[in-house]
Amino acid sequence: MKYGISFLLLIPIAAMAVTLDGWMNVTTGGDSLSPQLGSLDVGGFLQGSNWDVLLQEKHVSMDTTGVVDRVLNSYSRTDLDISIQAGPVRINPDLVWTVDIGDDKPELVLPVQGGIACRQGIVRPGLELDAQVNPSLRFFARGLYWSRDIIHEDGSDLGWTDTRFGGGATWDTPWNASLTIAGLTHNTTADYIDYDNTWNRYDVSVALHPRTLPRNMYFSGDVTYSVYDGKDFLDREIADRLTSRVRLMQMGILPSISVNTIFESAVDFDGGTVRSACTALESRLVWRFLKNRDVPSTVVLSGRLTRSSIGTERAGIFSRINIYKGFSFLAEAEARVTPTSVAGAGPDRQRYTFGPGLEYQFGNKARIWGIVEQERTNLTRNENWWRIRSGLEFYPGSVSF
Amino acid sequence: MMRYARYLAALAAGILLFLACEGPLNTTQLMVNTDDCIGCGECVEVCPYNAVEIINGDAVIDPSLCHFCYRCVEQCPEGAIY
Repeated sequence: MKYGISFLLLIPIAAMAVTLDGWMNVTTGGDSLSPQLGSLDVGGFLQGSNWDVLLQEKHVSMDTTGVVDRVLNSYSRTDLDISIQAGPVRINPDLVWTVDIGDDKPELVLPVQGGIACRQGIVRPGLELDAQVNPSLRFFARGLYWSRDIIHEDGSDLGWTDTRFGGGATWDTPWNASLTIAGLTHNTTADYIDYDNTWNRYDVSVALHPRTLPRNMYFSGDVTYSVYDGKDFLDREIADRLTSRVRLMQMGILPSISVNTIFESAVDFDGGTVRSACTALESRLVWRFLKNRDVPSTVVLSGRLTRSSIGTERAGIFSRINIYKGFSFLAEAEARVTPTSVAGAGPDRQRYTFGPGLEYQFGNKARIWGIVEQERTNLTRNENWWRIRSGLEFYPGSVSF
Repeated sequence: MMRYARYLAALAAGILLFLACEGPLNTTQLMVNTDDCIGCGECVEVCPYNAVEIINGDAVIDPSLCHFCYRCVEQCPEGAIY
């Protein structure tokens, strides 16, 4: 009898539709700086009526000759993300597991003059709860825990852990705005060097999303005031911060052209001192044409200026011109100014990158591409090098059972 | 024509605001533009102070550990940290 009841309980579960998606992305490349650049990204997404499971594996392999600082690390990262909807509550446990592989382990400079250490891996479980108690009110809470496998230069395990808990509520008001109140506490502990630091943050945020705008115009804005309670690495109080962001998007400014502009500003309140901490302006223009082809052609122009205690500048163009069926010609060019950590190179590093490429898309199932770039960088002297990058993206589609 | 004028006026206002705020500013925290961050994790790999993590697909900088070495700013392929 009890087996009969179990069987009856299983019938509705088996009758629920389950969908499986999978994907694989491979990129590879090389230049005089990094002879071996490669990444493999494989994932699967299983979805039922009120639950889903994501499993993703990313393997990155990089090497360098060390002319400029690049990612030296080779690592393997596994993500497991489970989401269960139980009435108005969503329960979302997840796990991230990163293992540093290869000979070049990333070196870390430890706080409180604790010396140099070597990172070997991270395990990070987390749990998120989200409750939509009514259409306009949502509560959320999240806890994360990092256990870091970090070995001191004298061979001892640091016992480094981080813990982060946070939560809050969002109210969607009837006036095209939402109000969020949230709090967060973060603790870092490294037993071997007697490091134990906690900081807290309390946020009040207002987001505007007006719905009565002229045709094809989209606007959003948000203002967040964050109160910090804690100290930085110099034992100074972390300043409170007022952050504001405005985003304006206009579709069809000319036929098939859309423009997106973002302005961002941050002001710090440090004791009795109020100071501007950052401003940033960014704009992007997208032109789509030959839309009736298998692959629409696109030209993207973008630019960004930022000013804080450093300045960054970036301008770029990317184009995909469809030639025949899934076959397209790619071209890209980018100019960037950033600070640099390369010794003797001056405060800023100017980079100019450009190159042509080719791409073939097999419907929505696969995409193969290759691009040849030339980069010029002014360091202690002007450096020029070639780089070849290529990739394969494979998406076999959904399977329902 | 009016819709172009409207948009150009907004863009001009943004540029004027930016220029008004331009200058050697002080900062106590770096900013991450979450619209542009693609969560690739290169900032995590290059940070020598363990101050960056990817949370919910975006880079998050720990203000107590960041030493303003700006390696993440230089490394970020999208220029999303500044």
